[in-house]
Amino acid sequence: MATPSHETSEVTSPLTNEVTAEQESLPSVFKNSEPIREDQIQNAIKFLSHSRVRGSPVIHRRSFLERKGLTKEEIDEAFRRVPDPSPSSQTTVTSQDGQQAVSHVQPQGQIQAMQPAPVVMIPPPSLLSRFRWYHAALAIGVLAASGAGTAVFVKRSLIPRLKSWVRKIMLEEESDSLERADGKPSLAEEAVAAARAASAAASDVARVSQEMMKTKTEERKNFEDLMQLLGVQVQEMKSLSNNIRYLERNSNNLPKVYSANQEVYGGLVKTPAERRPYANGSNIDYDTRSARSTSPPAPPADSSVAPHPKSYMDIMSMIQRGEKPSNIREINDMPPNPNQQLPNPRIAPKAKPWDYGQAPQEEGSNGPWWQQKNPRSGDFGYETTSARSIGIQNETSTMEPAAIQKQRSWVPPQPPPVVMPEAAEAIRRPKPQAKIDQEVVAAAASDSNQSGVSDELQKVTKFSESGGDGSGRLQITEIQEETEKQHLGQEGN
Amino acid sequence: MPVFKAPFNGYSVKFSPFYESRLAVATAQNFGILGNGKIHVLELSPGPPGVAESVSFDTADAVYDVAWSESHDSVLVAALGDGSVKIYDTALPPPSNPVRSFQEHAREVHSADYNPTRRDSFLTASWDDTVKLWAVDRPASIRTFKEHAYCVYQAVWNPKHGDVFASASGDCTVRIWDVREPGSTMIIPGHDFEILSCDWNKYDDCVLATSSVDKTIKVWDVRSYRAPLAVLNGHGYAVRKVKFSPHRRSLVASCSYDMSVCLWDYMVEDALVGRYDHHTEFAVGIDMSVLVEGLMASTGWDELVYVWQQGMDPRAS
Repeated sequence: MATPSHETSEVTSPLTNEVTAEQESLPSVFKNSEPIREDQIQNAIKFLSHSRVRGSPVIHRRSFLERKGLTKEEIDEAFRRVPDPSPSSQTTVTSQDGQQAVSHVQPQGQIQAMQPAPVVMIPPPSLLSRFRWYHAALAIGVLAASGAGTAVFVKRSLIPRLKSWVRKIMLEEESDSLERADGKPSLAEEAVAAARAASAAASDVARVSQEMMKTKTEERKNFEDLMQLLGVQVQEMKSLSNNIRYLERNSNNLPKVYSANQEVYGGLVKTPAERRPYANGSNIDYDTRSARSTSPPAPPADSSVAPHPKSYMDIMSMIQRGEKPSNIREINDMPPNPNQQLPNPRIAPKAKPWDYGQAPQEEGSNGPWWQQKNPRSGDFGYETTSARSIGIQNETSTMEPAAIQKQRSWVPPQPPPVVMPEAAEAIRRPKPQAKIDQEVVAAAASDSNQSGVSDELQKVTKFSESGGDGSGRLQITEIQEETEKQHLGQEGN
Repeated sequence: MPVFKAPFNGYSVKFSPFYESRLAVATAQNFGILGNGKIHVLELSPGPPGVAESVSFDTADAVYDVAWSESHDSVLVAALGDGSVKIYDTALPPPSNPVRSFQEHAREVHSADYNPTRRDSFLTASWDDTVKLWAVDRPASIRTFKEHAYCVYQAVWNPKHGDVFASASGDCTVRIWDVREPGSTMIIPGHDFEILSCDWNKYDDCVLATSSVDKTIKVWDVRSYRAPLAVLNGHGYAVRKVKFSPHRRSLVASCSYDMSVCLWDYMVEDALVGRYDHHTEFAVGIDMSVLVEGLMASTGWDELVYVWQQGMDPRAS
């Protein structure tokens, strides 16, 4: 990339470690020079030692302390002092060139810094052993007793019964065998009877099974009804939760317990964040955040809800229902030629007004509309009262030259305020005006600091404006026109 | 005063540092929730209609911010909702654009700012809690600054010190960084609520302003940052953007969800010096021209871009 040749030497690439004199003017201003405050560290240690805090991610702990006004050094010191087994630092800096002297970059620790889990509650061994032995002894005793009891019981009652039953059967068999010879026809009858009984039983069984089927289908129907009702209820609950979520979003600054089960929408949709401390500055201990929903800072994030457009609400509800707005097109916005050459700059970079105290145009009444200023330079808002605007005008007209002059390389002497209007008139007479014109031409031709000349003229216009009457205005604008033309000619806009 | 109607909701407007009649507008469909985006390059004209589009670029996702290059007059940086950072050359027709696309941020890129002193690098701030430093001609970011605990909404270069910048974040802090240092050099817990924007005073390199969801703008001196220099009250809702005037040392412009654009003089007791109520939806973008004193532009969710001189009514025809 070709740098224009006339660019000042202060423009160096951030890649080099060169530090020019200009940059070192006030480097320490943007750093903390406060000493470490011990009381703040003590507060931080108390906070960090709290059991609930220990369970939260490190970045949240740091963020909380930062919001309390602790400096980086104080926070680091507090972390160092609190006996925390987990890695404590969060700073990650990726430098692709590796040229930065990375002195206190700490490796990115686990974000989920949890305490090593001392979860298992092991009861004191003595207690257990006591129980063990005691229980064992008791169990053995009980078993033995029950075993003995059953043995006795079996011996005394069951076996005699068994014996009698066996005897009975044997007697029956004997009697049966005696009757068998005469009982053959009765056998057939018995068979028939048995068959009938069987069929009756079968029909019974069939009936019973039919009834069972009926009840089953009924139950299934009931079950389905139940499921439907449940489904309806789930839908209602879903919509309720959507509404609640929406309301929560809208009342974001109210006290809120941060729920750990927040739904996170897909990456396409931006829904507002839902973490907020108390509205009136009172503190909660810390923010716990398990899932962050994406967020525009926008509509819901005020203490009083900013009423947002109806169509915004429509779109939000559409997206919550899972629908996509219909007006979205498929657009390929990738670079057609990723190696496209960057253009050569056609214009040199312009100096900033705060660099050289470039005098702003006071009255560009003949320029395009965007250069035309209100005749009263201090009147910013058309709604402001005239009294206020005049007050401001006086202030700014005296303030501004001083402000601009501070930045410039040479400072013209402060002209005295106009005491006599006649003196201001004298300035505007043709003879001195020609002199000023010559100055302008000479300055422009020699390409010297134009702003100095224009500033001088500006001062002339300024206190002639404040002290003079309307008659001088025409001539002032003439002078301005001259310088304007010079400006335009030079800058080649 | 001219007004431009965009097809999508406005998000950001920036004047070109090279052409006093040129500005770029970042817009997003469906309020930036979900949809495409569009970048408009507008030209001011002396006659009616006063402002007209000279070229526009369509993007697949919302454009949340644009930044003009300080070294190349036709180059634009765009910050997109899909996490990409794209470079556009407005001198080339749309089919040849963008000329670069960097996909590094894991979340939406919310702001882009070009270095006004070194002119060779720019910053992007993203909802993935990081700020990245880039150069246009390099294929990847130079550095990633990861310290904030929540979305970073804006990162702004210091107008005097080319290595120093400030970042405003939803973790309620403003951090001052120096690219020569590995981490942030200062942490200012500026507000009790999310800080949406910050900007440096162009004439006092140690002073910066922050605007927040708490409806206030605070002006800080980094040398004594425990208490603000001034607290500017007056907005009815969150203040979305704050900008220091390039021409007057104590003049601050701001835009808010109360649909107004306000001008403040923070050194004065009654700080509110101007109020414009031209927007009919959230006013989210504002800029003050570096080349033309008093020229301002604003945009909002009402899809309108206004350009006007301070002291004039933006809606006057």
